[in-house]
Amino acid sequence: MQQKLRSNFTGFLFILPALAVLACLYVFPLLRAIWISFLDKSGNISLANYQKVFEFYLRDILYSVAISGLTVVTALVISVVIASYLRFKEWKFLDYMYRLPLFIPFLIVGHAMRIFLAPHGTMNSLLTRIFMVEELPGLSTSWVGLLWSFTWIMTPFATLIVLGAFKALDSSYVEAAQNLGASKLKIVFSILIPLSRSSIMVAMILTFVRTISSLTIPIMVGPNSPTVITVDMMFRVNYFNDWGVANGLGVVSYLIVMVLAIYYLRFMISERGGIKG
Amino acid sequence: MKNFSVWKTTLKIVFVILILFLMIGPLVGIVLWSFAMRWYWPSPVPQDFTLRYWIDVFKQGRVLDSIILSSVIALITVGLSLLFAIPAAYGFARYKIPAERLFLTLFLMPQAFPQLPIFINLAGMFGKIGLRGNMWGIVLAHTMASLVFSVWIITATFKSIPIELEQAAQNLGASKFKTFWSITFPLSIPGLISGAIFVFLWSLGEFTAAFFIGAPFIQTAPVLMYTASMGYNMQIASVISIILVIPSLLFMILIQRYLKAEYISGLGG
Repeated sequence: MQQKLRSNFTGFLFILPALAVLACLYVFPLLRAIWISFLDKSGNISLANYQKVFEFYLRDILYSVAISGLTVVTALVISVVIASYLRFKEWKFLDYMYRLPLFIPFLIVGHAMRIFLAPHGTMNSLLTRIFMVEELPGLSTSWVGLLWSFTWIMTPFATLIVLGAFKALDSSYVEAAQNLGASKLKIVFSILIPLSRSSIMVAMILTFVRTISSLTIPIMVGPNSPTVITVDMMFRVNYFNDWGVANGLGVVSYLIVMVLAIYYLRFMISERGGIKG
Repeated sequence: MKNFSVWKTTLKIVFVILILFLMIGPLVGIVLWSFAMRWYWPSPVPQDFTLRYWIDVFKQGRVLDSIILSSVIALITVGLSLLFAIPAAYGFARYKIPAERLFLTLFLMPQAFPQLPIFINLAGMFGKIGLRGNMWGIVLAHTMASLVFSVWIITATFKSIPIELEQAAQNLGASKFKTFWSITFPLSIPGLISGAIFVFLWSLGEFTAAFFIGAPFIQTAPVLMYTASMGYNMQIASVISIILVIPSLLFMILIQRYLKAEYISGLGG
């Protein structure tokens, strides 16, 4: 017993320095965000900031949720298609191509998409020649362009998770179904997807959280109005020096992802997440 | 039968072209812009090419300064991040820690919630103690944010080393420190390097923290790139973009083996 207690404490000492960093630079700012969001201009506790948040930014909040939700759907559909294909067939070209965006910083993707999707951008320059038309609308200042950019950057990540789950499945299920004459499509829908449910859920959650918390893509691509809440937070701080409303928006963004984040944390900590087990 | 295979080949070629268009297309635009002197619609390529903007990078000036600054911040961040992550990862991998679920949750939370409010408040806090507009403020923010994924990469590395090796060394009379230094550490070097590369790349391309905390005096390469792109200075923005993308693409090939989705969920912004 003595021995066990001591090793408990030694383990704690090992994580202590990192814990101190997180406490000062993560937990404290987090609590500060919540605290400041409840202070009005003269420093009294009030709901004034939240009143402003819902008065000015309700449309942007809904727009952010809608864009993130759409990104989850498109990224997920594409990633299941790619993962299913690569589960049955090896195609090195696709294997490398889908992973290309993984490490490209978001800001650079934003810049690249601004050039690619602009009304007179590289994409339209090619498409107008192929279809022999004069002009095509630019997507870089519409929500379609924003969705496009988010999908481009989120899909490889979701595919990595889904494909990992598909490959980890016991292949005897798949072989048995194939022997019984099931088509590949049927195998995907009735074996691969149901058995990888929890991984697909994690892919969806991380895609949603990363999309709704991204600042760098929406400052480069997409319409000025409506805009996403991260851009609103940046404007509140940079142009109005209004930290109260910015933090109010921040707390709202935390509440939006709360349920998903709790599911994700529980999953990662339980043995199936595989971090500890 | 032959017909069928022709049809299949055609389909495959169409897919290859489509995938290249979707995945490589956006990158072609920035490469062309980085060499463009003049580029007016509807020309498919720039009317005049120039190396001027690339030469600027290697001359003393804003672009070179920002790239050096970003590299220095990234290197210091790697050092600090590993310094804190290695003991923490060893603790998580080898010991049973009291209130473990709580600490695991804390170490995973930054991945599960938006980071922007944290960075904004760090900027506010740092403003009061003189760390705003200061390189070290950015270093601290990057160290905290990168800790979350470096701890998990290194924990996985330590767990992959059989504990029997350590026990054997200790049975032969080696001290705990000597065991770590001569058994565990050398075996974990590949994992540590991949963790270091992740942190370096992330810090190099990080915009949000650098933008809020660095303001108004410090301009890292991504912040300068943003300013240039917003001011329609497409050439400078594109040159910086390419310089930041090249190491990412090179390292991606190098660290394929360690590519696990959980690790990179902290990347982005």
